[in-house]
Amino acid sequence: MQTAEFLIDIGRYYLYAGGAVAVLFLVIGIERVEPSAQESYAFRPLLIPGICLIWPLVLYRWFHLEREKEAEE
Amino acid sequence: MSVQYMPVLWNRNKIFYDAVLLIAVGLYLFVFIRVAPAFEDVSKPIDGAILRMRAFGSCAFLMLTIILCIGPLARLDRRFLPLLYNRRHFGVLTAGIAAVHANYVLGWYFNFSPTDKYAALLSSNTSYGQVLGFPFESLGIAALLILFVLAATSHDFWLSFLGAPIWKALHMSIYAAYAFVVLHVAFGALQGPADPIFTGVVAASVVLVCGLHFMTGRMEAARERGEETAKASLQENGWVVAGDLDDIDEDCAKVVTLNEDERVAIFKYDGKLSAITNACAHQNGPLGEGKVLWGCITCPWHGYQYNLADGRAPAPFTEKISTYRLKLIGSTVLLDPNALPPGTHVDPVEIGGAA
Repeated sequence: MQTAEFLIDIGRYYLYAGGAVAVLFLVIGIERVEPSAQESYAFRPLLIPGICLIWPLVLYRWFHLEREKEAEE
Repeated sequence: MSVQYMPVLWNRNKIFYDAVLLIAVGLYLFVFIRVAPAFEDVSKPIDGAILRMRAFGSCAFLMLTIILCIGPLARLDRRFLPLLYNRRHFGVLTAGIAAVHANYVLGWYFNFSPTDKYAALLSSNTSYGQVLGFPFESLGIAALLILFVLAATSHDFWLSFLGAPIWKALHMSIYAAYAFVVLHVAFGALQGPADPIFTGVVAASVVLVCGLHFMTGRMEAARERGEETAKASLQENGWVVAGDLDDIDEDCAKVVTLNEDERVAIFKYDGKLSAITNACAHQNGPLGEGKVLWGCITCPWHGYQYNLADGRAPAPFTEKISTYRLKLIGSTVLLDPNALPPGTHVDPVEIGGAA
């Protein structure tokens, strides 16, 4: 039971962290790294579940695309 | 320039596809839940909640089977391509149906647990070391998580943001989800009282998915071998490899140098390929740097125009240039380096219809 509760806690905190990343990314990041998302808002809530589930990958790509942009400038 | 994202892109075909999908799923669930019980063994009645659980679980399993069959079927026969292009909504609906199945399981078996129902689900059976009585629920959870990730990352944005290699690798995990579901069923439902119909359906699904993938794998290997042979044979006859089809932008040309004095411009336009000499008949202007309009190329220097299929200027003009024969083997463009007399008609190579 303890292991199960521990796993569920890990999952819960993982999703909380994903929620925080989703807010940051959808407010700040998305327009910086994805030109097609500029002035396009209706589709953004659809991205929240995906960001919550794969937020480490989202952070990695965000960082990577920011660096690519810097290198181009 | 870019196109703004929309929440969901629908067109007439997609609406029709989604309507058929929803009706088919609704019919399956209706028959399973409302009609099938009339034919069950009255001495072993099944509770309504268990029936709904099985209806949604088996529906998700069949949908996953169909999703995995669409890819190889489209490679075997192009008529299945519309199913392939619309597969996204099918996948999202499958994840939804699987989630309803999981919700029924939680509601039926763990709702009145004194502890958190999710913790009860994970801790009710931890005999991972045995085959009979294996905690098959964990396999279902793994499959459901994968289906959630795939459904949540199905929007066009994700393909662009993650990049094609990462997105494709992520979505290849559909095969892991299928394997988990098959094991979930094998260690779960199939361990109960013998049900020849369900056992047969699961076995047929595995044979179908594996068989179709095996067949397409063999067919593509044979096609590649055939293409290599055809390419080698053409090269033996003096044809040259001009490059890959993807190297040529739409309505533009790839210029191939045959020797110091002879350059050939291979144009991609309207789903076709044509080759003409790169030198304009007027002052040797670089035709390969021009753009195609209405099947004609305009010389960027002085505006002389030529029909790409025959190298002739549109009437009333009379200029003519050399044309060349092309072949498309797979995605490789091959060029016969022997120039045809100026003005010779050569049927353009159809890109979709290439062998």
